[in-house]
Amino acid sequence: MHLEAYEPVVGSEEIAEIRALARHLRGLKVQHINSTRVGGGVAEILARLTPMMNELGIEAQWSVMTAKPAFFEVTKAIHNALHGATDLVTDSMFRLYSAEAMANRDLLDREADVVVLHDPQPLPLIRARRRGRGRAIWRCHIDLSMAQAAVWGLLRPMVERCDAAVFHLVDYAKELTVPQFIIPPAIDPLSDKNRELTSAEIRGVLDRLSIDPSRPIVLQVSRFDFLKDPLGVIDAYKIAKRSVDCQLVLAGGSAADDPEGEKVLSLVLERAQGDPDIHVLNLSPDSHVEINALQRSAAVVVQKSLREGFGLVVTEAMWKGKAVIGGAVGGIRNQVIHGITGYLVNTVEGTAFRIKQLVANPELAQRLGEAGREYVRTNFLLTQYLKSWMVLILSVVKRRTQGVLELRG
Amino acid sequence: MGQPFEFYSETGIRIWTGIKADNLKSLLEAVRTVRGSAIFYHMHHSLFRRHFTAADYMNDFARWVLLNQSQEVLAEKLASIDPWEYNTVREVREVLMDYLDRYIGEGERFQRVPAGSEFFFLEQRSALFPTGLVAANLKEFFSCLQYASCSTFFFHLVEARLRLGRKSNDFSEWLGNSLGESELAQRIASISPYQYNLWGIREKVLSLVGERLADAS
Repeated sequence: MHLEAYEPVVGSEEIAEIRALARHLRGLKVQHINSTRVGGGVAEILARLTPMMNELGIEAQWSVMTAKPAFFEVTKAIHNALHGATDLVTDSMFRLYSAEAMANRDLLDREADVVVLHDPQPLPLIRARRRGRGRAIWRCHIDLSMAQAAVWGLLRPMVERCDAAVFHLVDYAKELTVPQFIIPPAIDPLSDKNRELTSAEIRGVLDRLSIDPSRPIVLQVSRFDFLKDPLGVIDAYKIAKRSVDCQLVLAGGSAADDPEGEKVLSLVLERAQGDPDIHVLNLSPDSHVEINALQRSAAVVVQKSLREGFGLVVTEAMWKGKAVIGGAVGGIRNQVIHGITGYLVNTVEGTAFRIKQLVANPELAQRLGEAGREYVRTNFLLTQYLKSWMVLILSVVKRRTQGVLELRG
Repeated sequence: MGQPFEFYSETGIRIWTGIKADNLKSLLEAVRTVRGSAIFYHMHHSLFRRHFTAADYMNDFARWVLLNQSQEVLAEKLASIDPWEYNTVREVREVLMDYLDRYIGEGERFQRVPAGSEFFFLEQRSALFPTGLVAANLKEFFSCLQYASCSTFFFHLVEARLRLGRKSNDFSEWLGNSLGESELAQRIASISPYQYNLWGIREKVLSLVGERLADAS
């Protein structure tokens, strides 16, 4: 997707500014390294970001490391431990992780001005970097706020060999000796998940899913996980429905390989039983247009998470001009400005109150939704993300993390 | 005729200072010691991030004190600080400290917020770059304004004046000193970015310059 395609979304002056800024990075070599080319948010964003950088004259490349299955078992344990789980990472596991990552040392572009290591998987490669040649950035896409101290302690020395670390939220930042930048993730307004849909497309989706478009829809999009509190959403809907007519749609991903997900789905179906106005949808991972249509047709979007990372699903809903009722946790608090772009809630009762309020008052919901859309336009679109990366690269290359970078010419 | 006006824009990313506050006392201590760029970010840059929400408390300090400390009176006082009334970030810091200090008084007990709800002091790491828009006279200035982004308006009207210590905003300085348009310069200087959102400021400036052009022709 060329940059010009974003003009109708962000304005021609924004694209002109991106090009003006990019002139100062022309010819810089940037190498992104992660562990998978498909699946997951990191691959998705790199698939967009890398060609955009190339279009702007930055020599960007995206390299993917390879490793044995045992490596990925260890990194899964590291991932869980960094999220606060009790997974054990033994010395031998850590040695395997380091050795397998280092086996990819030839992947490193020695001529790169900046190498970006995404998440823990490629992090040991920092040891293969020759000091004085190029800069290294560790880009963390994980919530580290509850990380197991012992496991974080294994990674920290490697992070501190980089020139900078980047987190989604300042809440995830740690005590480090390197500068810590905060760059939230972003949505692509032109992807199937977020592009404009015609009325016919939206109607077609609702028809296929047997949802009545003429009555207000309360929607939560999330995998079937206790931390997303789908049971609490059903309870809140039932309270609200005593006062306002509405339908509830819980749209989740496939739970085929997640034993807990299957259990949660089963409990949700049981709680929803007997109410034809509760639609529990178990959609496939590539149901982007369906999710898009559901979000666009919702009267109110709920994200009653008990714990949340950044919460791009909230960003997506706000981009579609929807008022969001969000759990007061994680990145939801950075996006839902209470009373301005939506409401933050802590209880089932609070969620029910806000559902009633917004379903009964579409003008209020519209006003909150419009503010949310503008908030996303200014802060969480791919074009802003691209600009952030350019400033980060310039800061690291010029070794200046304080003051203003004045670029001339 | 002086130098032409070169339109700049700025874009930035946030960097954590490593400092956070979990109650009013530690907030005061941190306000006393953090770099001025952190004060600027939390007082002024929230204007840019949330410029469409003029009805909200505009600065981060007021919002945190209200939402995380439930101190409505103090939040109201902090929100009332109009950075536009001060020429330097140092002066804004002193006002902040004064309000916090008086409110805290001689108290010894200060409620701590849970982990994750602290006030994290951030700075903006900005890149300032020429947009390619250049104006040599009022007509060209008006034409360039129509292509300028909100970031450009924010830089020339707010950031340049306060963070870089200039006497007035860039537009007014150039209009007054290079074109002799002192009345237009004064009218633009009187626009407070805290009374309008950035779109409103843009429209106001365009309107003032357009009117002057029409008068002059």
